[in-house]
Amino acid sequence: MVYIFTALYCEAQIFIRQFHLSKNPENTWFQEFHNASSGIRLTVTGVGEIAAAVAVSSICSMYRPTDADLLLNVGICAHTDKTDGVFLCNKLIELATGKTFYPDMLYRHDFCEGAIVTGMLPWNAAEDGYSFSASTPDGILYDMEAAAVYQAGIRFFSPHQMAFLKVVSDNGMTAAFSREQAALLMEQYQDCITDYITRTAAIIQEHRSRKNELQEDEQRLFETFCADLHCSKAMRDSMRQYIRYLALSDVNYIGMIRDMYEKNLLPCKDKKEGKRRFEEFKKRIF
Amino acid sequence: MKSLKKEYFNPFFSHIYVEKSVRNHARTQKILAKFPSAEIIEINHYKDVFCRSRQSTRFQHCAQKLILAARQGTLLYEGAPVCQHFGNEHFYYVSCTMNCIFDCAYCYLKGMYPSANIVVFVNLEDIFAEVERVLNHHPLYLCVSYDTDLLALEPLIGYVREWCDFAAKHAHLTIEIRTKCANPSYVQSITPNPRVIYAYTISPQAVIDRFEHHTASLADRLACAAGLIRAGCPVRLCFDPMIYMPDWKQHYHEMVLQVLHAIDMDNIMDVSIGTFRISQDYLKNMRRQEPDSAVIWFPFQKDGGYCHYPDALMDQMESFLTEQLAEKIDREKIFRWNV
Repeated sequence: MVYIFTALYCEAQIFIRQFHLSKNPENTWFQEFHNASSGIRLTVTGVGEIAAAVAVSSICSMYRPTDADLLLNVGICAHTDKTDGVFLCNKLIELATGKTFYPDMLYRHDFCEGAIVTGMLPWNAAEDGYSFSASTPDGILYDMEAAAVYQAGIRFFSPHQMAFLKVVSDNGMTAAFSREQAALLMEQYQDCITDYITRTAAIIQEHRSRKNELQEDEQRLFETFCADLHCSKAMRDSMRQYIRYLALSDVNYIGMIRDMYEKNLLPCKDKKEGKRRFEEFKKRIF
Repeated sequence: MKSLKKEYFNPFFSHIYVEKSVRNHARTQKILAKFPSAEIIEINHYKDVFCRSRQSTRFQHCAQKLILAARQGTLLYEGAPVCQHFGNEHFYYVSCTMNCIFDCAYCYLKGMYPSANIVVFVNLEDIFAEVERVLNHHPLYLCVSYDTDLLALEPLIGYVREWCDFAAKHAHLTIEIRTKCANPSYVQSITPNPRVIYAYTISPQAVIDRFEHHTASLADRLACAAGLIRAGCPVRLCFDPMIYMPDWKQHYHEMVLQVLHAIDMDNIMDVSIGTFRISQDYLKNMRRQEPDSAVIWFPFQKDGGYCHYPDALMDQMESFLTEQLAEKIDREKIFRWNV
């Protein structure tokens, strides 16, 4: 699943159309759209750090993302030098605290990269000037959500599962930019953004670890085996370790257990015999 | 060097994080010059990147980043109880680089560090000063390539050569450079020093193929070790860690034959033998990161905070290799961990 978070509905429109997302009427706190078949869940958070953090936290608590999922924060932003372009953020700076956050930059992409400052208020270049603080570099992006999305998102996602894509709309003159213009601007970059989402989500899916829990029939066999060995809790935990290792090593442990039954070594009559059989089983392995 | 051809991941060191305080350091400039197209990201402290929560070393190993920083605080460490001391009283190690470009499935670094990214401390002069301070009190046996493979990074950072030059100037300093890489051009350009020991980790090719990803082949490691011996360098062969595989005896036997064929054992400084063992805490971290790695999900025996193969298996594996090697090398030259 890809969890997309935008501050405004006009930033979300391209995804709603492209991925045929439908509104979830049950979510009365945020505008939430999803499409199970395309694996996209989009939330319009509202503007600002607190709104963004609350939305990320709420959605993730509800849907419990896994290690196969991706979080994407996307939307328009300002830039101190440039007036257009789409950027993948490699450094997020929270203006209020000076804290910095670094999403992993593992996947290839065709965007420019840059650092972004997240502030509580819209940046007005005419009043605030072009330098946010002594520690921020020149040529930087400015928005009102990214650092907050990271801080909330890191509770649920790893740094390699989060991406921050920002489309530059202005040079610190937000008042001059309408929602219609924002929607049009997002459309300009629709293809490259959706391509990035699809590709990155596929990479994360493909490389996630294979869970090594036992399958249902293996679990049943394990339970019977432990019961017939009269395993104590400690023996059972130890046996689970052995079985887990054998399964990962592609050793035919099921055949070994069946063989013990065929030789009438199982079931054991008591705990003492069970312990002996367990030791024999271990010896057969190594 | 690892393959960088996987098209969906960024290339190796595509991004370099640089601490502000070392931005203008000469070594920083030298290293950055080798990566003209890298994205340079300025940071306050290396831990801001290296110690982030919830990092996946598994994913990061697909596109490792470089972090250039200044080492502060402790600069020299005493060897851990599970390390081979080779009879040296003052056995220390230094961490001038953290993490490794290789990706060994069993490597303790995956449990020790929260990240797979590589940190290079560029203030080597401060570490040299600390070593000199300790040398004023007693001689030093120093492992300089413990939490990394310094020789594998040599083309990028040149630290092995700096350590060799430093050792040449200090009579009471012996350094050990441990490696799994094969770098023939380095071997050809070597100036031998009896107090610079090259320690090659030697594993059967089957173990290399299965667990020691991106490292040099057994044949290449042996060729480099042989080259260093011919050049007059002290060379140690480390059969450590020995890794259990169902047909381990066959693999280790074949490995010994290959070693004896390639290396003149009379001129080996010594060998070390030890089965895989690891701190319980590191293993816990590794298992969380790698739920499907057989080598770290082995049902280990736990003793005093360390995990190792069951006593009988450990003894069987180490004795087997000791006996095989003892036919060609004096027993006093064989250091076995589990004795």
